Amino acid sequence: MTDPLPRALGAKRDAKLRSMGGRAAGVEATLVDRARSGDRLAFEELVRRHADRLYAVILRFTADDDEAQEVTQETFLRAWRSIGNFEGRSRFFTWIYRIGINEAKRRAARRAPEPVLSLDDEPVPEAPDWSEAPQTRFEQSELREVLERAVRALPVEYRAPLILRDVEGLSTAEAAEVVELGEAAFKSRLHRARLAVRRAVDEHLAGAKR
Amino acid sequence: MIRRFLERRRYMREHRFTHAHLSAYLDKGLDEAEARRVEEHASICPQCKRVLATLRRTLTGLRELHGEPKVDVADGVIEALRKRS
Repeated sequence: MTDPLPRALGAKRDAKLRSMGGRAAGVEATLVDRARSGDRLAFEELVRRHADRLYAVILRFTADDDEAQEVTQETFLRAWRSIGNFEGRSRFFTWIYRIGINEAKRRAARRAPEPVLSLDDEPVPEAPDWSEAPQTRFEQSELREVLERAVRALPVEYRAPLILRDVEGLSTAEAAEVVELGEAAFKSRLHRARLAVRRAVDEHLAGAKR
Repeated sequence: MIRRFLERRRYMREHRFTHAHLSAYLDKGLDEAEARRVEEHASICPQCKRVLATLRRTLTGLRELHGEPKVDVADGVIEALRKRS
């Protein structure tokens, strides 16, 4: 029989976390309301809360750090100019992410096309088994590098769902809202993106084995 | 022969179902019966078993890419906001 006490403590902790999350959402809604009525200090607080994460997302769409900083800056400037139009139907960060990703995509479209990861999902011959967690720091950093490269090589319409859901940890509903897709279409794109990234690791390891 | 044909057809149907639902399975987005279909097929299909295991590892690896950015961008954004408004 399981001990009911840890379960009760777990439930208490979950309730506390939910209540903290609720309070944080309440504070954010107040900041958004104040910013909408022209309070720049409230908007600056929203910048402090979201700029670093937005930058981390944008970085995976841009050519370099400088461009990512420019896009992040441009995103918040646009948001400040149009916050009066933000109706609060979505959460503030999903609105900001949407502006930022669209701006990053717009700039990416102006650059020379980069090699794009194939979404074909044929099995890769001679790919070794890598399902276990890497044993050494070298293997760990190699896997990280291959994944980073594969994510950046995904077509942008597949990259955004994967970054938002799997790297940033947004829920499916939140991430689908950012990229303005219905949940079914979002899940389908996410699945294809995940399979393509998985296959890229297979290809890398099969190449290394040969 | 007919039995073998039907078995093969069933296997391929389960193969397509499993392949299409691996992400949903890992996200715990399937109901009990659907999750069982994926598990049963993956237990007898070496290809699906391998893709499932490496896809699981891919998701763990992707989560590990989440890190704090090395630069603090908020101050630069706030400075630009103050200059331009």
